[in-house]
Amino acid sequence: MRQLMVRDAIKEAIKSEMRRDPRVFLLGEDIIDPWGGSWKTMEGCYTEFGPERVRETPISEEAIVGAAVGAALCGMRPVAEIMFSDFTTRAMDQIVNQAAKFRYMTGGQASVPLVIRTAHGAGRAAAAQHSQSPEAWFVHTPGLKVVAPATPYDAKGLLLASIRDQDPVIFLEHKMNFTTEGPVPEEDYVVPLGKADVKRQGKDLTIVAHSRQVLRALEAAEQVAKEDGIEAEVVDPRTLFPLDVRTIVDSVKKTNRVVLVTEEVQRGSFAEHVASKIMEKCFYDLDGPIIFVAAKNTPIPFAPVMENFVIPDVPDIVAGIRQAMKA
Amino acid sequence: MAFKLTMPQLGLTMKVGTIVEWYKKDGDPIKSGDAVFAVETDKAVQDYESPSSGTLKLAPDVVGKPLPLGIPVEGMIGYLLEPGEAAPAEGQAAADAPEPVAVAAASASTASAVAAPQKVYKSSPLARKVAQLAGIDLATVVPEDGEKIHRKDVEAAVAARDAAKATVPAAPRPVAPAPAPSAPAVTAPLAGKAVPMSQVRRVIAQRMAEASQTTAAVTVTTEADATVLVEFREQAKASLQAAGLPVPSYTDMIVKLTALALQEHPGVNAALAGDEIIEMQDIHVAVAVDTDYGLLVPVIRDVPHKTLQQIAVEAKTLAEKARERKVGPDELQGGTFTVTNLGNYGVDAFTPIINLPQCAILGVGRIVGKPAEYKGEIALRKMLTLSLTFDHRVVDGGPAARFLNRIRQYVEDPYLWLTR
Amino acid sequence: MIQQDGGGAVTTARTHAAPLIGSERDRLLWMYKTMQRIRLFDDRIVRLFNSGRITGALHSYVGEEAVAVGVCANLRPDDYLVSTHRGHGHMLAKGADMDRMMAELFAKETGYCQGKGGSMHIVDMSLGILGSNGIVGAGIPIASGAGTAIKIRGTDQVVSCHFGDGASNTGAFHEGINLAATWGLPVVFVIENNLYAQFTPQRMHTKVVDLAVRGQAYDIPAVSVDGNDVLAVSEAAGEAFARARSGKGPSILECKTFRWFGHAINNPGSNLGRDQAEIDAWKLKDPIPRFAKVLVDRGIATEAELEGLKRVVEEELEHSIAFAEASPSPKPEDALRHVYSELPEGCEL
Repeated sequence: MRQLMVRDAIKEAIKSEMRRDPRVFLLGEDIIDPWGGSWKTMEGCYTEFGPERVRETPISEEAIVGAAVGAALCGMRPVAEIMFSDFTTRAMDQIVNQAAKFRYMTGGQASVPLVIRTAHGAGRAAAAQHSQSPEAWFVHTPGLKVVAPATPYDAKGLLLASIRDQDPVIFLEHKMNFTTEGPVPEEDYVVPLGKADVKRQGKDLTIVAHSRQVLRALEAAEQVAKEDGIEAEVVDPRTLFPLDVRTIVDSVKKTNRVVLVTEEVQRGSFAEHVASKIMEKCFYDLDGPIIFVAAKNTPIPFAPVMENFVIPDVPDIVAGIRQAMKA
Repeated sequence: MAFKLTMPQLGLTMKVGTIVEWYKKDGDPIKSGDAVFAVETDKAVQDYESPSSGTLKLAPDVVGKPLPLGIPVEGMIGYLLEPGEAAPAEGQAAADAPEPVAVAAASASTASAVAAPQKVYKSSPLARKVAQLAGIDLATVVPEDGEKIHRKDVEAAVAARDAAKATVPAAPRPVAPAPAPSAPAVTAPLAGKAVPMSQVRRVIAQRMAEASQTTAAVTVTTEADATVLVEFREQAKASLQAAGLPVPSYTDMIVKLTALALQEHPGVNAALAGDEIIEMQDIHVAVAVDTDYGLLVPVIRDVPHKTLQQIAVEAKTLAEKARERKVGPDELQGGTFTVTNLGNYGVDAFTPIINLPQCAILGVGRIVGKPAEYKGEIALRKMLTLSLTFDHRVVDGGPAARFLNRIRQYVEDPYLWLTR
Repeated sequence: MIQQDGGGAVTTARTHAAPLIGSERDRLLWMYKTMQRIRLFDDRIVRLFNSGRITGALHSYVGEEAVAVGVCANLRPDDYLVSTHRGHGHMLAKGADMDRMMAELFAKETGYCQGKGGSMHIVDMSLGILGSNGIVGAGIPIASGAGTAIKIRGTDQVVSCHFGDGASNTGAFHEGINLAATWGLPVVFVIENNLYAQFTPQRMHTKVVDLAVRGQAYDIPAVSVDGNDVLAVSEAAGEAFARARSGKGPSILECKTFRWFGHAINNPGSNLGRDQAEIDAWKLKDPIPRFAKVLVDRGIATEAELEGLKRVVEEELEHSIAFAEASPSPKPEDALRHVYSELPEGCEL
């Protein structure tokens, strides 16, 4: 099959859906050609669809999301880009109080079918305000769906599902992942929201990871398979909410040991939410404590040596796996 | 000075006591009267109460050993130490003992002064679940890593147990009660609060299950007019209280009149032993007592030869001892027939379970005013329901019914037996 | 899939929207009747609250009726309106059904939001109302989004975006109006300047006196009018909407008015610090008798006819209270619905 980078898979999903559905339009900062978005995920969209449907915005995150909410309430399907997930703080009222709550507050009268695509994660020496992984802020908010693809295949299928969804979706794209390559079918397909994917089968231990850390977890799993004979199962939830608890629990029931990998700061993270679900659903299947391989509870530092220390990498995950097998 | 704890002699025939539960562990402070462990003899489980105070130091042959643990009578269990005191060497302890006794085999093998305390291992949730399903006591499992018990450690313990069963079929089974054979395997944790079974509870569970599975139990009921019995007791009560004498309860009276009826129907005062039915020579009536820690059934011996006054005193003493957990194994053994009275709880008829090896049990209901036929007319009478469960393997319906009818006559006309 | 919504879409049975066709007299009498609907409704809810029959945070529109009515007299049913926490007037002026409004305030299942919104979020989406918003200023970018939808679709609808003097100091005001101005969106930003941001008088939170001057910063038309003169409001709004419908972009319409009650009914302290003389002076400028006098003086209606219209509204109001009281309460577990459109099978909220 054809190999695409994540950013091209995203671009393909956006373009094909804009051709298919006239309600879909884009808004964000620096998204028109020749820029095509800071992450090049919308290259060519302006040229193909014009200024009405590809709307260059001022640096006004609240207005970007607010306008997306208003248009969605009027039946459009806006796809907004917030360049860095750190900047969602500027739009938090529109995301949390407006987009997430409109259906509820109106007793089901309103739908807010919008997608906010935003780049998260560290690794570019971009320091504390351009490197966060704020998944938990959104997972914590009833009314939002939260998606975080790891592969080009999932990025395309999940984005198509997100645009077609009736609810507001926060679509997290890891900024170190845009050039990751993988097979992507040319045809239209959706990866349903709320369906996890077992990215690697294993019998000894379950790793739950999302976004870029799925790829690192897979690398770590290969290493321990070779060096220790440990067969780790890697579960990628793909959507952080709705969360496919069943697939995670089924895996834990099989392996009895768990490593949770996340680039979020551990305190109050999505990964800790996963841990709570495991405790609720399959405590008596655990043969050892849940091991976290998470970012340190600090802002992201600038110096690459410190940034690498703070963020989990393959050796950290390998160590976590070995610890889990002993504990 | 160190006080030596040994296995007590709890019954005339007792040779070995089996510790089935520890209430205290090595190193615990003990006060005189504290229950230290539960010991099971062939008939009952009884708490062993410490006769002295001090810090418990278990003997090396006792500490850390899996339960059930058989120890010969007079066998060494451990010491109660005063603050700062070390356990004496065996010889010294023997010398200190007021009456030197032959050192029991169990304690002779070692002279080490201080036993290492038993290590308590942590265990994973899965290890606990697997252990529970397999019936493995986690206290008996030693983890491979020397730190925490995981599933593999429990599985190793299961394998070892199964291998031992397969290779030593003739090994004497410990006296510990087996779980009820028909209990369904627990496949998923049940919702609710887990209350561990006490040893008393386990014995009850085992006995009840055994009786209900092995006997051919039939229950027959009848209603007796107890008006005269009630009048008699009310009159007697006034006189006895005035004289400072104990007042027999209805249960006491029924125990007495039942014993007299048993004399006339020896076929009901019987037990099945293999191919033979033994009609018992004596009539010892067991009386069910409801206690905070479970059902106990102390025995009143030679009932036909005892006066109602004697029965009243004895029954009261036994019930109190049972409720205080002080009833001895001898007092719980040897019954030939059982009376159980639920009348106090407003029960009329019920189907009691036979107390093996006996072959019948009488359930006594409440006495309640009801319209009934009396001398050809409807009158308000004090009525009492009697339920007799009998083992049809031993007794047929006819004899059982005749026996119950005799009891009814005795209830309705107490002077038939009070004058004997 | 687990359906989370369903039964949410409402259609207003009886519409009270401004007449699309008919004479100028019909339009003026609609304005008078609608001002009375707002006045009597919001006056009654104060008493319902004080007698404990309704609860929650309630913000009365009494005194400001001319603003909502003057603006909505220019709106079509397919036009959009963005409301605020003080939204009863906008709802009624856009044509909402009093029964379902009252039922929502009574926290009943038959309420517009099935008891999930209450006074602050009361809304009838079928009338084009895009939410009554409890976050001050949040509706402004949402209105720009509605204008964006209109512009992409190329229709001649407009958006009427209502907010107060307090909201004019939020970042959302700047971001939302700048976006609308830059993109030329068909939105009229109606500043209902009642001179107080919750408790704080305008002079303590804003240097300028006329908030309309802020329009210069966005290079869009902006006027200040007497918000207690329904005809003045209607005329100015008519011009602004005409510009919007013809693709000439957004406007600001500042209507200076005054609320008779405190910020919220459940917050009696919110009237503290307001000079009784100021309140009394504004009551002399009561927009309803002012408009009635115009109607009678111009021979458009007799006093008896106006009294008859008021009685019709009184009956409507009594009916709404009876309807609300007779309606069932929602089930507690209905709280679990409407969080999402749908969730995958087996997914817990």
